[in-house]
Amino acid sequence: MKDKVFGVLQRIGRSFMLPIALLPVAGLLLGLGSSFTNETMLSAYGLSGIMGRGTVINAVLSVMSAAGSSVFNNLPLIFAIGVAIGMAKREKDVAALAAAIAFIIMHSSLSAMLLINGGGESVEEACENLIASGHLAANSYGEVLGIVSLDMGVFGGIIVGLGTAALHNRFYKIELPQVLSFFGGTRFVPIISSLCFVIVGILMYFIWPFAGLAIAKVGDLVLKSGYIGTFIYGFMERFLIPFGLHHVFYLPFWQTALGGTMEVAGTMVSGAQNIFFAQLADPTVEQFAVSATRFMSGKFPLMIFGLPGAALAMYQCAKPEKKQAVGALLLSAALTSMVTGITEPLEFTFLFVAPLLYGIHCIFAGLAYMFMHIFNVGVGMTFSGGIIDLVLFGVLPGLRKTNWLCIIAVGAVYFVVYWLLFSYLIKKLNLMTPGREEDTDEVKLYTRSDVNEKKGKGSPSGDVTSALIVKGLGGKSNISDVDCCATRLRITVFDPSLVDEASLKSSGASGVIKKGDGVQVVYGPKVSVIKSKLQDFLESPESESSDFLSVNNNPSETASSAKNSAVSCDIFSPLSGKLLSLDEIADGVFSEGMLGEGAAIEPSDGKVYAPFDGEVSLVYDTKHAIGLKSKDGVELLIHFGLDTVELKGRHFKTKVSHGQKIKKGSVIMEADIEAIKKAGYKTVTPVIITNTDDYKKITIADSKTISAGQKLIHIGD
Amino acid sequence: MVSFKYKIKDKVGIHARPAGALAKEAKEISSKVTLKFKGKEADAERLISVMGLGVKSGDEIEVIVEGQEEKHDSEKIEEFFKNNL
Repeated sequence: MKDKVFGVLQRIGRSFMLPIALLPVAGLLLGLGSSFTNETMLSAYGLSGIMGRGTVINAVLSVMSAAGSSVFNNLPLIFAIGVAIGMAKREKDVAALAAAIAFIIMHSSLSAMLLINGGGESVEEACENLIASGHLAANSYGEVLGIVSLDMGVFGGIIVGLGTAALHNRFYKIELPQVLSFFGGTRFVPIISSLCFVIVGILMYFIWPFAGLAIAKVGDLVLKSGYIGTFIYGFMERFLIPFGLHHVFYLPFWQTALGGTMEVAGTMVSGAQNIFFAQLADPTVEQFAVSATRFMSGKFPLMIFGLPGAALAMYQCAKPEKKQAVGALLLSAALTSMVTGITEPLEFTFLFVAPLLYGIHCIFAGLAYMFMHIFNVGVGMTFSGGIIDLVLFGVLPGLRKTNWLCIIAVGAVYFVVYWLLFSYLIKKLNLMTPGREEDTDEVKLYTRSDVNEKKGKGSPSGDVTSALIVKGLGGKSNISDVDCCATRLRITVFDPSLVDEASLKSSGASGVIKKGDGVQVVYGPKVSVIKSKLQDFLESPESESSDFLSVNNNPSETASSAKNSAVSCDIFSPLSGKLLSLDEIADGVFSEGMLGEGAAIEPSDGKVYAPFDGEVSLVYDTKHAIGLKSKDGVELLIHFGLDTVELKGRHFKTKVSHGQKIKKGSVIMEADIEAIKKAGYKTVTPVIITNTDDYKKITIADSKTISAGQKLIHIGD
Repeated sequence: MVSFKYKIKDKVGIHARPAGALAKEAKEISSKVTLKFKGKEADAERLISVMGLGVKSGDEIEVIVEGQEEKHDSEKIEEFFKNNL
């Protein structure tokens, strides 16, 4: 269970890499754009003339800010789609569409619920009514894609992404009744997702406000408990970011009387950020009020120093071959955090794959705020704590007013602590931070050595059916396109002459139809499963190796060389029943080992199973005996009963024909034991290695009874 | 190379038992023994290929013996056929 949860988190974490790669760029646009367009800052530094409203620089920066913030505003949607793509097993494009639709529908439903229950002309009004009646926490609603709804942050996106992907994986192959068949398969996914997320949206109306209300309560605690309160503030703010609830939490401190009320330059100002900017604009202030900046300054050591330390640790812990790729991501994310104070690109790289690290990060965030409070650091910010804001609001106002050098001192310690702690934990707990994850299907570019390694292990997937199909189609490189209809696998090949019908048939096909470069292989209704498996197989490194089925390619050549002592292989029992040695069956020819070494089985069931992967080399006319040749060249005779040749085929059914490829465990023959006994024949069945002379050592299983598929004979040491 | 033709008298043809005996016999002599039937050939030492010929009672097969002592061996094999098949 733990592994499963871990595996899911890891997949989510990985599915975030796509949107996260965009964030540093968006972060820089937003960070630069919004910092230098803040009017309070501009007027405080007398920059309004050069960069103020109406100037070209301001226009450029405003566009940058708007472009960047659009990404962050829509992060939940981007993550909904990203997670759906990452978690969908197949047909990911459909999952992405379904996730986008589901996300919009969830928020629309939620919005409608707010309006219905809050009353009033607009959803905003309804929300304010709900806030007034205590059903909602203040600041807990906002616009999502133009829909006024509850702010659920990326958490909302993740719910949609995971939910849609789960529905998708469950239903994308659904078969509906004939009349509705148009809506079946992948088309069903957006439909079912829409319906489900209408319900989720309604449920969220009842559930989500509680989280907001609970968090608002924590605000009181912060105010009442001094330095510890500052710690709680820092911890909670960081902790709530993934849930989008941090606005509920910190905005009251920044913007309302909860964050303090103070007289600045003759007017009463409420809210920590408002107080700071009022003081920044007032040249008479000697030191900025720490009672206000304690809700801000803590971000600086964290974002300029701590997180880059974590990035360095993650880089160093990445696998050597992945360092380059991961380095680019981590470096850009770390720079974004340092310069602009936008931390999501970096935090999301470990939040989902290693929640523990995020937990520790939250604790250090709390401590950072607390230290800044203790050391009387008075640096405020526009919205986040990067170098830009540090320079503008810490360095430029002067050390006397802000005490900003403490940030550097604490920050240096933070860098080292983050670096050491992250390195230690990542290695100790083997956390799957970027560049440490095991290769999976998502890494499509496997190396030659991966392929060789897989080959060494034999057939890792054991998907012989797909292997046979690929072989029958002339190898992976000959396959252009794979699709299926209700009963047939439809493949387009490059060279139809390479198609081997026998191999396709041995994979379980009931027919093969070739038309030009199109090949249709008839499997019946189970074809969709076969298609999915085949696609998985084609994506695995296994299918790259051209000789994954060397077993069946040329069995005749491998066998004959005498004294093939190097061969080591197993033969599995074709029958269930009593295991006897050959000399116990009291039959001259077999007992004397004249035909070769082997064993005899007194069968309890008439079904005979293929004892290995190989080929049928003989089906005796009277059906009582079958000769087989394994992929390793072992020749085996299964002689059902004694003297049963005289039955002339009665009571026997053969399921294979001469030259047919067989797969271990498939039924090759059926005998009617009762009928044979009634006819007066013994059913004891010798299983003989007819090319015994080719092998040095043959060992028979030591047991009184045996079941079909158990190890019967071992060849080699 | 020496060869002879032989009509199988055994009522079930060359099945496992006589084929096994033949294989044993063929291994004991130095010559290589090949059975020819309906255009197919089988190495007498390889049980499954012999059985694979599907020789029935009354069928006539050609037996080819090749080797240093083929003459002597051929007689021996022919003797075997007469006694067993």
